[in-house]
Amino acid sequence: MLFNKRTERYFVWVFFPLALLMPLFLEQNTFYVSKLTTVMIFAIFVMSLDYLVGRCGLITLGHAMFYGLGGYIFVMIAPEYEAVNFWIYTFYICAIAAAVALVIGFLVLRTSGIYMIMITLAFAQMAYYFFSDSLDFGGNDGVFIYVKPDTSIFGLSLFDLENPVHFYYLCLLSLFNTLFFFRLVTRSRFGRVIDSIHENPGRTTALGYNIFLFRLMAYTLASALGAYAGYLFTLQYGFVNPSMLAWTTSGSALVMSILGGIGTLYGAILGTLVYEGLHFSLEHLTEHWLLFMGALIILMVILFKNGIAGYLENLLERR
Amino acid sequence: MTTSLFFVQLINGLQYGLLLFLIASGLTLVFGVMGILNLAHGSMYMVGAYLAWYFVQQTDSFTLSALISAIIALLIGIVVERTLIQRLYRRNHLDQVLLTIGMIFVFNALQSILWGNDPLGVQVPEAMSAAIPLTEVVEYPVYRIFVALVCVAIAAVMYFMINRTRLGMLIRAGESNREMVECLGIDISRLYTIVFAIGVMLAAVAGVIAAPMSSIVPGMGEHVLIACFVVVVIGGMGSIKGAFIGALLVGLVDTFASVLLPQLSSMMIYILMAFILLIKPQGLFSS
Repeated sequence: MLFNKRTERYFVWVFFPLALLMPLFLEQNTFYVSKLTTVMIFAIFVMSLDYLVGRCGLITLGHAMFYGLGGYIFVMIAPEYEAVNFWIYTFYICAIAAAVALVIGFLVLRTSGIYMIMITLAFAQMAYYFFSDSLDFGGNDGVFIYVKPDTSIFGLSLFDLENPVHFYYLCLLSLFNTLFFFRLVTRSRFGRVIDSIHENPGRTTALGYNIFLFRLMAYTLASALGAYAGYLFTLQYGFVNPSMLAWTTSGSALVMSILGGIGTLYGAILGTLVYEGLHFSLEHLTEHWLLFMGALIILMVILFKNGIAGYLENLLERR
Repeated sequence: MTTSLFFVQLINGLQYGLLLFLIASGLTLVFGVMGILNLAHGSMYMVGAYLAWYFVQQTDSFTLSALISAIIALLIGIVVERTLIQRLYRRNHLDQVLLTIGMIFVFNALQSILWGNDPLGVQVPEAMSAAIPLTEVVEYPVYRIFVALVCVAIAAVMYFMINRTRLGMLIRAGESNREMVECLGIDISRLYTIVFAIGVMLAAVAGVIAAPMSSIVPGMGEHVLIACFVVVVIGGMGSIKGAFIGALLVGLVDTFASVLLPQLSSMMIYILMAFILLIKPQGLFSS
């Protein structure tokens, strides 16, 4: 079984079929469909962060840099008034983001713990100020994307990115694939070495593994996926702006992944759903939603030792 | 750059650095002694500034207002430590991050409920509203010099307290070996409450004395938090001496960068931090 925990299997069986049917219920209401789309996109981003923080033990506060880069790379390489191919550009963006991650990872992975948190933050802030101060990229306003890519493969166009429901399914599929992909990774030889490094770096080194190289590969992989999420976000709203790379974006992603249950991967989806759901509903109820949000977060830290996923696992896997 | 302008920027940089030290010292003290990563530390700075504004309105005296604010901050510190932080000692850093981010939300919400979201200002106290003329056109406000002196005084008191008093001895002992301190019959949880409350008070006092120099706005806490983390990490987590050197470095680099390299100014402290961490991955004075 690919999803080896019972809780995770339950979650996958409940969440994805429900999400698949959701647009049928919300047919007339594209607002909720696009809101959910944004949540899915962010869940991909949170999951890539969760892999880094929870599975590799590499805590970063600069992951939003790649989220933002996903959008900015698109703006940089795509022609302004001409539709490009979605699939080819997905490849380009992930490849370029991976190349950037390789260089930055090479520098930041020399440090560890709190120092790594801060140096990743430093690079992300540099990127943030680079884009927000730069006139070529519209400064704080960012850049608009006038033409969305087209999605044809060999002349066969399966869906239309302008259609919110089509785009919803693209993001849902991407989210599922990301979870599936990370599960494959964690079960592979590579993933086992990563787990072993997380458990005991010293012993893994003694076994003859170059832990720096493995960490660098994991960092590159997660960053490329983070950039993919940013690319989807950019396509959904048709613009890119520096707030995507702000440290608060990294911060809230980190909050969602801890809330969901760090290192559980599917917990990233739970955390994003709960956080965004709370945010959305509290904001509608009261002007001072932040107060309740903060209080709820504090309560959840105190009550759930390993996030929501940890709590569910405790309930469901007890024998 | 003329000599007088250079001189003014030098004092500005030092003064900003000293203020940063005041905030960062609490952060590094709490991390060094208790192993707690308190992201809500910047919120205490904000709370200090708002309290100062509120009590100046009520009492018409800046000194009195500063005193009341400091005491309230101390009480907030004790309550927060007793109710929330104490639950975190056996948890990992990530849970601490999550809980203290929750605290940031709560403090920001309370600020907006109690005092609104409009920018506020505090008058510079009458006695220090003058300015010292440096040349015929350049002059320097007395209040800023006063702030720098207060920071130096507090740094000196802290140095004395940590190196020469019984409490300081316990703090140093707690830093190096928690279990051993407990075995010697010291109530470590009381020590932690004291250290945390002092840290909160330092941040709030910084907010109080900064209030007349800058406008009091929502989000001022987060802005200063990042700068403080830069300071603390440059100096080496947990090292007060490192925080002092780091704060002066950041203050000077930030001030001079905004004059000499305006296009890079907001990036400069991060470049500095990345550069230092690449050479010394544990900061300048790590233990």
